[in-house]
Amino acid sequence: MYEISLLTVMSFSVIFALSLNLITGFCGQISLGHAAFYGIGAYSAALFTTGGGSFWLALPIAMAVAGFFGFIVGFASLRVRHDFLAITTMGVGFLFTGFVRQQEFLGGEEGIAGIPDPGIGQIPYMLLCAAFAAAVIAFSLYLKRSWMGHAFDAIATDEDTARTLGIDVARYKLTAFVFGTGLAGLAGALFAHYVKFVEVESFDFIESISVLAMVIVGGIGSIWGVVVAAAVLSVLPLLLQVFADYKLLIYGVLLFTVMYFAPGGVDSLMQTLWRRISGRQRRDKGQ
Amino acid sequence: MMSWKFSTAAAVAFVLAASAASAETIKIGFNTPQTGFAAADGKSALTGAQIAVDTVNAAGGVNGKKLELVVYDDQAKPKFAVPIATKLIQQDKVALGISGSYSAPTRASAGVYQNAKVPYISAYAVHPDVTRAGNYVFRTGILGSVQGKAAAKLIGDTLGKKRVVITIMKNDYGKSLAAGFRSVMADYGIQVIKEYQYSLRDRQFGPIVSSIKADNPDAIFDTGYWFVAAPFVSQLRSGGVKAVVVGQEGYDGVKFIEIAKKAAEGVIIVTALDRDSKEPEVRDFMTEFEKRTGYGADMVGASGHAAVMVAAAALKKAGSTDRVAIREALASIEVKAITGVLSFNVLGEVQKGLKVQEVRNGRWRYHSKIVDAKLLTPPEK
Amino acid sequence: MNYSDLLVQGLVEGCIYALIAVGLTLVYGLLRILHIAHAGIFTLGAYIGLLLTNETGSFAAAFVITVVVVGFFGMAFYRLFYEPLLDKPPHVALIASIGLFIAMEEIYRMVFGATSLSFLAPPLKDTVTVAGVRLEEGRVVVVVLAVVLIGGLAVLAGRTRIGIAWRATVSDAAMAESFGIDLARVRYVNFFVASAMAAAAGIMVALLLNQVIPTMGGVPAYKALAIIVLGGLGNVRGTLIAALALGVIESFGTIYLDRVLDRDAIAFAFLIAVLMIRPQGLFIRR
Repeated sequence: MYEISLLTVMSFSVIFALSLNLITGFCGQISLGHAAFYGIGAYSAALFTTGGGSFWLALPIAMAVAGFFGFIVGFASLRVRHDFLAITTMGVGFLFTGFVRQQEFLGGEEGIAGIPDPGIGQIPYMLLCAAFAAAVIAFSLYLKRSWMGHAFDAIATDEDTARTLGIDVARYKLTAFVFGTGLAGLAGALFAHYVKFVEVESFDFIESISVLAMVIVGGIGSIWGVVVAAAVLSVLPLLLQVFADYKLLIYGVLLFTVMYFAPGGVDSLMQTLWRRISGRQRRDKGQ
Repeated sequence: MMSWKFSTAAAVAFVLAASAASAETIKIGFNTPQTGFAAADGKSALTGAQIAVDTVNAAGGVNGKKLELVVYDDQAKPKFAVPIATKLIQQDKVALGISGSYSAPTRASAGVYQNAKVPYISAYAVHPDVTRAGNYVFRTGILGSVQGKAAAKLIGDTLGKKRVVITIMKNDYGKSLAAGFRSVMADYGIQVIKEYQYSLRDRQFGPIVSSIKADNPDAIFDTGYWFVAAPFVSQLRSGGVKAVVVGQEGYDGVKFIEIAKKAAEGVIIVTALDRDSKEPEVRDFMTEFEKRTGYGADMVGASGHAAVMVAAAALKKAGSTDRVAIREALASIEVKAITGVLSFNVLGEVQKGLKVQEVRNGRWRYHSKIVDAKLLTPPEK
Repeated sequence: MNYSDLLVQGLVEGCIYALIAVGLTLVYGLLRILHIAHAGIFTLGAYIGLLLTNETGSFAAAFVITVVVVGFFGMAFYRLFYEPLLDKPPHVALIASIGLFIAMEEIYRMVFGATSLSFLAPPLKDTVTVAGVRLEEGRVVVVVLAVVLIGGLAVLAGRTRIGIAWRATVSDAAMAESFGIDLARVRYVNFFVASAMAAAAGIMVALLLNQVIPTMGGVPAYKALAIIVLGGLGNVRGTLIAALALGVIESFGTIYLDRVLDRDAIAFAFLIAVLMIRPQGLFIRR
């Protein structure tokens, strides 16, 4: 059913957005090329199952391949920082699409079609994606409170101070990249077996921007904010069909407006609102 | 400004159509890019389709009911095409679907239609895999490989040019055209001296032009769309390359001539639309299209029109909105559309003759016809 | 195969990149903003230039008016959209800029239509032979424009009061302000110059292709980002060299690298390779 379709899209979008949140939100490393890892996951899973491999095995393989490339790109984050890193990761995204376009075994510009159905039915597949999304939310919550989460936080706040505190910055940055890109690979594999067709345009710069938008609109580093933003933004173009002509315009204006009025995203908006409400209540009780 | 008014009108019409949905209409699903990079082609395809719907409805509709297009914007992206196909089938309960979109979204939604056993017609998406999704998927546009074969006959036989350079646009369209061309070129004594590739985002062809000049071919077979081809042909001419340029359906629109201006003169294409046609249906379509859009008819618009006409004929023949009956009807139908007499083979590929057009004095004019049935037979698997 | 042909074609393309990228690097140098919407301003220049030419019949007049009008538009753009974001973290302006760029493309589509617009009678279409290479006149004009505008900019920066103020602000804004330099004025001039140059590039690209579409800014925008990083963010001379080098590399790459890598990815392959060896870009900021 249509609603099931929407819920499936929401679920893997949540995984994809949280995967970037690990790198950009938790560890403070901006990435403008995250769709490349989504694509690497989608392509490796697609190649594996179209070659006769099992869907269940395709998921860990997609994670491993994406995580491997994430590890390599992670080294870039050790060399360059801030705006240089933003452009470097953007370059990684363009290298990915530029490379795939020219490779016959990856279907070139035409993509790979005929990806087999996981064979579990539409509703169970949605539930599977939702379960993975729930697991990634739980993992994010756990990670944020763990020692590693604090180390990430220290690096995000001030890398040089973190280093003087004795935190092994390189190791944690690489870990963040491997976790984040591996989960993007998982999201990609789930996407590929939903659309049953992958082509390079699905993983272009716009896609990288879209996922970054989810993280930023949600509130960088905030888990629930990002979940809400990913769920809403991923299906917004479909829900906005009524505004057919203005859809992308609304999207662009939304990105700008959130940055202009609430750079902390949904998360900070909700917190401000919460503080106001609870503050008023406390005042009410005091009187 | 014209097109702004037009798009607003289209949006309004769309909202009205959506709210006026009732049991008296037969719904046809239509996915097409209306925003984003492919919006121009999406607009043409939708206009062509709407003209067809209005024509059919003005003549009393089909089986006593009016046709209604249910239109969704897929931005030419597979990730939107799949939920849209699901929505059209399950929520809007369309009798059949038409793709007014590119190959990628069409391939993605073809699988959804096939699984739900709802007929689906691709108007101008050319990738061979589209119809391989199954027996519910049909294509009214002609396959790239068939066009490529026709172009080989045109160059080697009709024009008698033997030393050829192929310039390939790196997507399914360009590649299947080139493959079709190569598969029969030996039969016409053609020798390909060099092949070049470019992306459909390329607009600067200086390096390729310099290289082609050194190759000095008799003819150039180019597989690009008009918006890439027009700057390419201009740059070929200003670079001093005089070889005849042969294009295909992707060139077919007034925009090509508007952009390339003088450089367009003498360009020859294989296509399905004859602009010098005396047929009233074709004339009416071209007038109406220009009236609605403010620019002259193009091949994509004609394809959208033809797809709806085929759908209407199939609905009439089936006598109901039963999806199995519609599929049966499509499989055995023969329709006279503005792009020729259309019928489908076992795979759901269209069989029709092709026209050759040439730019003369700033207009597309009749050049010749290709009626070699054996050459134009589409593959059956 | 004629190498001088490839070289000249590459240099012409490089001049277009330079006209776009120099503005981008100026904005970055002063404000530390990666100004993605610069590509939207480039497209605006193309539309206004084309429509004015078709309306007035004079390309030269349309060119001058467009460059000035878009320059002022750039100033307004800065005032409305960027100034309020200056004290926010850098990613805020970056994402806001991306949002603006998407919105601009859509507004162009709604106002001017999705299909391309063309010049009714495109000028400068005859060919001339320069150093044994046949070139369209329009391409020669691109090179002349790049030399004049960027050369003029160098004179402006080195010889005039506002230029000196500008350089002082780039190297240390707080210090410059304490010396009585009007920061707001420097920033306005900066946006005027950057946007005017983007508009000039936009009209010339529109003329060379005889086609203007809402999304024409995309590819040049992304490449220009690669170029300004290669040039050492904020370094005008470095950006110029990187732009010309990329034009030439792409020109040869189209013919010789084609089977390995898409032409649009060449810039980024080059960029990543350079950054891994020299994280500060080919040229150090100055």
